[in-house]
Amino acid sequence: MVDDLSFTVRAGVVTGFFGPNGAGKTTVLKTIVGLARPTAGHVSFRGGPVPSDARALGVHIEPCGAHPGRTARAHLRALALLAGLPAARVDEVLETVGLEQAAGRRVGKYSLGMRQRLGLATALLGDPEVLVLDEPVNGLDPQAIRRLRTLLRERAARGRTTLLSSHMLGEAAQTVDDVVVIDKGRLVHTGPIGDLAQGALSVRTPEPERLSALVESAGGRVRPAAAGGLWIEALPAAEVARLALRERIPLEEITSRTASLEDVFFDLTEVPSETRTEGRRA
Amino acid sequence: MNRLLRGELLKTRTTRSIHAFVAGGVAYTVLNVVIIAVASGRLDEVAEKEEALSGLPVLLMLWGLVGAAGEYRHRTAAPAALVARRDRGALLLARIGAYALTGLLIGALLVAVSVALALPLLADHPGADLTPGEVTSVAAGNLAAFVLSAIMGAAVGAMVRSPVVGVVVVLLVNFAVLPLIAGVAESAANYTPFGAAAVLVRSTHHTTLSPGAAALVLSAWAIVLVVAAVAGERRRDLA
Repeated sequence: MVDDLSFTVRAGVVTGFFGPNGAGKTTVLKTIVGLARPTAGHVSFRGGPVPSDARALGVHIEPCGAHPGRTARAHLRALALLAGLPAARVDEVLETVGLEQAAGRRVGKYSLGMRQRLGLATALLGDPEVLVLDEPVNGLDPQAIRRLRTLLRERAARGRTTLLSSHMLGEAAQTVDDVVVIDKGRLVHTGPIGDLAQGALSVRTPEPERLSALVESAGGRVRPAAAGGLWIEALPAAEVARLALRERIPLEEITSRTASLEDVFFDLTEVPSETRTEGRRA
Repeated sequence: MNRLLRGELLKTRTTRSIHAFVAGGVAYTVLNVVIIAVASGRLDEVAEKEEALSGLPVLLMLWGLVGAAGEYRHRTAAPAALVARRDRGALLLARIGAYALTGLLIGALLVAVSVALALPLLADHPGADLTPGEVTSVAAGNLAAFVLSAIMGAAVGAMVRSPVVGVVVVLLVNFAVLPLIAGVAESAANYTPFGAAAVLVRSTHHTTLSPGAAALVLSAWAIVLVVAAVAGERRRDLA
């Protein structure tokens, strides 16, 4: 269920689309590319409708969309014919994703990682302006992840746009420029990834609403943290302490620290603290 | 449309399904000729001899159905729609066209097998031999029934989107519902898709419907199913 979600993907950058499992990422991506229709709202692609053109938009949404009884080469050749692309593109994308040796095998015999790479090859077939990838690193080995990362950065350097979803912010953070974070189908954060990783004050108080209002009136930024805590940015600790003392708001903790991307992600998506620990162990 | 048709044609011939359907079709054709021309006693009427040449249109219907429904079962419909540069209705029409063309090729092979096998065997039976005109008429009827059945199968497959459900429904209608209808009102059964196809391929003689009229009935069914499938394809999600 996706509700009242609106965000913009900047051209020429890699945008990470994050959220916990079940947040609605795949539903949103299917809606963006036109495979699902929203009950309300619309998707705008450079000010117009979303094109069904492999040169403009390349998509990989799991599963890879290849018949298990068909070879990877035949799958890509059929799509190249449908798209009006030259047959030579098939071999080029097979080489790009490292599947040239396995191109004659039936897709049903492929591992998860190979199917992911085939899905990526499908998306790259038209060398599209915009690439939409759903959990592209799932099942990939470290070598393939590095290859994907390099590919996406090279595309961005050529002014190409990528929107990729993931539930693993730490991994994808090495690739993306911007982030969009959703939880329970609603937008919780959007902006450059640098904004998430900057220094902040971790503050605990029994009166978080009053302190939040006070800090914001003084020009600070407040984000909720786990277990009722607050992340405060753009104000020094001494200023926050002075404001709290003046208004007689008790402070239980005030710590200056740089939040890890995972911490920010968990805070934004309101994952309970017990789950956070398990998630980190995993 | 040409590139869509070529892409869809490539898809129809790059899985093992086509081998299974060709093998099944040839096996049935040989069996049908042998049972009717060799093991059914005297065939002294033209209609009886024509029956030896009759094919199994439901096989081609299943060919179209399994292929088109498999596009959704294996999620291959989505990547095709994303690159086609045409609306989904046009893509589905190309897919149905691809199954019609492959149905024509498979059908031509089956007709060739039945004619080549049946005519020498039928020559041993009493009564008038089938004239070239009669053979041509039966062959054309079979081909028309095969192609129209493949079209109907692909349309039904696109609507049902599940090969298993589609196959079960088609077989139930063909082998259970149609005999019930025929038992109540035999002439009405000839106006069903399977009944009209049976008239067209000459597997039934108990009819007042001419092969030409049966072709029109079957064409009307095919048009209705294709229009419904295209309308549904344009309206439904592919997710």
